[in-house]
Amino acid sequence: MKKRSRSLKQFFADFYLVAVLIFLYVPILTMMVLSFNTSKSRTQWGGFTWGWYEQMLSDPNILSALYNTLLIAFLSALIACIIGTAASIAIHSMKPVSATVVLGITNIPMLNADIVTGISLMLAFLAFGISLGFKTILISHITFNIPYVILSVMPKLKQTNKSTYEAALDLGAHPLYAFFKVVFPDILPGVLSGFLLAFTMSLDDFIITHFTRGAGINTLSTLIYSQVRRGIQPSMYALSTVIFLVVLILLAIANYKPAPQKVRPGIDPAAARTAAARAGKGRIPEKFQKGAMAVAAVLIVAAVSWVSVLKYMTTDSDELYVYNWGEYIDEEVIELFEEETGIHVTYDMFETNEEMYPIIEAGAVRYDVVCPSDYMIQKMVENDLLAEIDLRNVPNISQIDPAYLEMSKAFDPQNRYSVPYCWGTVGILYNTERLKALGVDPPESWGDLWDPALSGEILMQDSVRDAFMVALKDLGYSMNTTDEGELKEARDRLIGQKPLVQAYVVDQVRDKMIGGEAAVGVIYSGEMLYIQEEVAALDLGYSLEYVIPEEGTNLWLDSWVIPANAANKQNAEKWIDFLCRPEIALRNFEYITYPTPNKGAFQLLDQELQEDKALFPDLDSLEGSEVFQYLGDEADGVYNALWKEVKSW
Amino acid sequence: MSKKLLSGPYILWMIGFTLIPLGLIFYYGMTDKTGAFTLANVLSIATAEHAKALWLSLGISFLATCLCLLLAYPLAMILRAKGVGASGFIVFIFILPMWMNFLLRTLAWQTLLERSGVINGILSALHLPPQNLINTPGAIILGMVYNFLPFMVLPIYNVLAKIDDNTINAAKDLGANAFQTFWHILLPLSVPGIVSGINMVFVPALTTFVISNLLGGSKILLIGNVIEQEFTKGSNWNLGSGLSLVLMVFILISMALITKYDKNGEGNAF
Repeated sequence: MKKRSRSLKQFFADFYLVAVLIFLYVPILTMMVLSFNTSKSRTQWGGFTWGWYEQMLSDPNILSALYNTLLIAFLSALIACIIGTAASIAIHSMKPVSATVVLGITNIPMLNADIVTGISLMLAFLAFGISLGFKTILISHITFNIPYVILSVMPKLKQTNKSTYEAALDLGAHPLYAFFKVVFPDILPGVLSGFLLAFTMSLDDFIITHFTRGAGINTLSTLIYSQVRRGIQPSMYALSTVIFLVVLILLAIANYKPAPQKVRPGIDPAAARTAAARAGKGRIPEKFQKGAMAVAAVLIVAAVSWVSVLKYMTTDSDELYVYNWGEYIDEEVIELFEEETGIHVTYDMFETNEEMYPIIEAGAVRYDVVCPSDYMIQKMVENDLLAEIDLRNVPNISQIDPAYLEMSKAFDPQNRYSVPYCWGTVGILYNTERLKALGVDPPESWGDLWDPALSGEILMQDSVRDAFMVALKDLGYSMNTTDEGELKEARDRLIGQKPLVQAYVVDQVRDKMIGGEAAVGVIYSGEMLYIQEEVAALDLGYSLEYVIPEEGTNLWLDSWVIPANAANKQNAEKWIDFLCRPEIALRNFEYITYPTPNKGAFQLLDQELQEDKALFPDLDSLEGSEVFQYLGDEADGVYNALWKEVKSW
Repeated sequence: MSKKLLSGPYILWMIGFTLIPLGLIFYYGMTDKTGAFTLANVLSIATAEHAKALWLSLGISFLATCLCLLLAYPLAMILRAKGVGASGFIVFIFILPMWMNFLLRTLAWQTLLERSGVINGILSALHLPPQNLINTPGAIILGMVYNFLPFMVLPIYNVLAKIDDNTINAAKDLGANAFQTFWHILLPLSVPGIVSGINMVFVPALTTFVISNLLGGSKILLIGNVIEQEFTKGSNWNLGSGLSLVLMVFILISMALITKYDKNGEGNAF
């Protein structure tokens, strides 16, 4: 009887263990499956493919992010191990009081919220004038890695027997020699597990890297985060699958090797003899491990110095630092530009105007050409951050339809600072079948987004100005209003809508609408073509249509500008001119599918596309539509505060 | 003497990259945009939307921590029963998922929980009604439990594994039943691990902004989201720092708990 209850207990125990393991590994399995999915959508299966693995190997962004991630993880773990082990030995020999103080400080980076650690480091780097980049990520990772090393080494150090060390000294060993031959082998497992732990933590970190990376460098985490907004590239899943399998195999091999013999600490002379014997011989696996680590360290250091030498050497050639939205150019265009002009392009991406602004303002990285939106350009002009573009160097500006230069005057009154790149509208995307099922007519106005029948079916934009635009237009006010009464009305309107909203998203609205997650979504017109192609390709049994609400909407323009502190202004002008060429603008349009203001490129389009009124609405038909304007810091503050009230409701 | 010098680089490093940065947060949090001293940033935690975000964060992270503890403790006991040889393997299976990027793991949950996601697919195959799983507080808690569970399991397992079998056998020989053994022997001895686990789950859960964004559809504003937005979108670093200072109170509390219950660092996760 008792035996049976024990085996039953055993069964439940195993069952529980397996259940937790399933919980831990199901998402990972999901990712692996998605890495073979032909469709980019996370919810639709489009067929089996190896394509993402091929794409992963040929994508320079992914490869450089992988390189950065591994290099930072390795270097930060290594340096943290050296500093941390030294510190542990010192702490071990400290008086209890000072040891407590030091260990208390050690705990800070571990206990502190990642967000606070990240932000505090960012503030420090900016205060010390250290420009954000590779080294700041490395410093931050070392900072949060050291505690893990200390916490792994300290327990091992406590287990060591001081007598063995003293015995070695008595036998005439130099303290350093005695340390490396007697103490170090004992704490080596702690150092190694500290290293592994630090490496893992560094690899997995997102938040601290997010705040300290600045621009111009991505790790896998930050690359993935930038893709979350625009839809994850399945090649990321492919990469993760490869990493996972490699680690699985490596760790499995490491785990199956026979466990090293443990030498029990003793106080008898035998222990001293063991110590002496070790001092003489040393065990092969440890030597091997140490050797391997040393070789790896040398290789990495060599690689780093080589890369930085290369970078140093290339700085005297022609350079151009470009700062653009993510996925906002056909990357072959960059290569074409480099081939034609011999200028070396360093290409960086940002996700929001607000993220880009402080980088330019602080001059943390000196970009030569940037592509912000309308209201942000106005803000930059007002704060003297932009240089006038010498249009004599941009003859192809004649290809830009004058209507858009006219539109630009809303934020750049004399067309002196900006050259339009993409434009568009904001509208409502709706799922025809789903609306039919709900018995709701296709939306025509912003007000339709308050229809109670659409409860849980609405995707709203998760950005202040876009969200307020919807409510302000619905109320019949200007979307550039600074009148607090009107704004408060808009806030109440948004709060009233919140129970109906399924989620506030930025670019994820694209994926979610394709996946049929919601019936209506507020979206940028440029996403349309891609969405419709994808829906058609997947044969989903529904179609998605785009409508510009009758009250009018946000007319937006993204334009190229040159920061006042640009070091290569002429190259920036060459770049802008190059992008204004009709055939280049056409290539970019085909890649990013956002409407182009380039009339030369427009004429090269298929007639069907030219007549697509959702994509290229007649500008005269957009009565009531406006371009966002910069309203000043104070009004921005009001918007942000009211938006926070909506979000926290 | 020379041994103490070894701590030099570390102490300099901690001053430069931990204490001074914290000092800067303090400075920003206590000043306004013009650099004048003010308490307004810190006190703004009392405004309706900040207080609500903080309460919500506290509630959600409290629940997530409790769930982690409830899941982890039996697990750690089962793992302990599996014996010594398993210890490397155990650390291995719990650390392994961390090698898949944290964001991707969380996104994978999105795929599982979405309306047309995997779980609802299975439900509809079983002719069960679809559930609204994503963009709810429940989804956020799930994401937290998923991401932080290893940080609860490992420290508890580590202290449990150190308990000598003889101690337990002695209790049994003296007539204690399974519950009494647990209540009077295992639980008190595992307090350092529990405290350390609670800290390692509660603090990141309290301050996350990523999980609430990805699994909560940005409908649920946590204090981490507020701070992140002040820094990246609102450009009000003073307010963001002030709110971070409020969060640090909770970190001080956890440090105090650790010094009280886990003096010797027994409850370290790894």
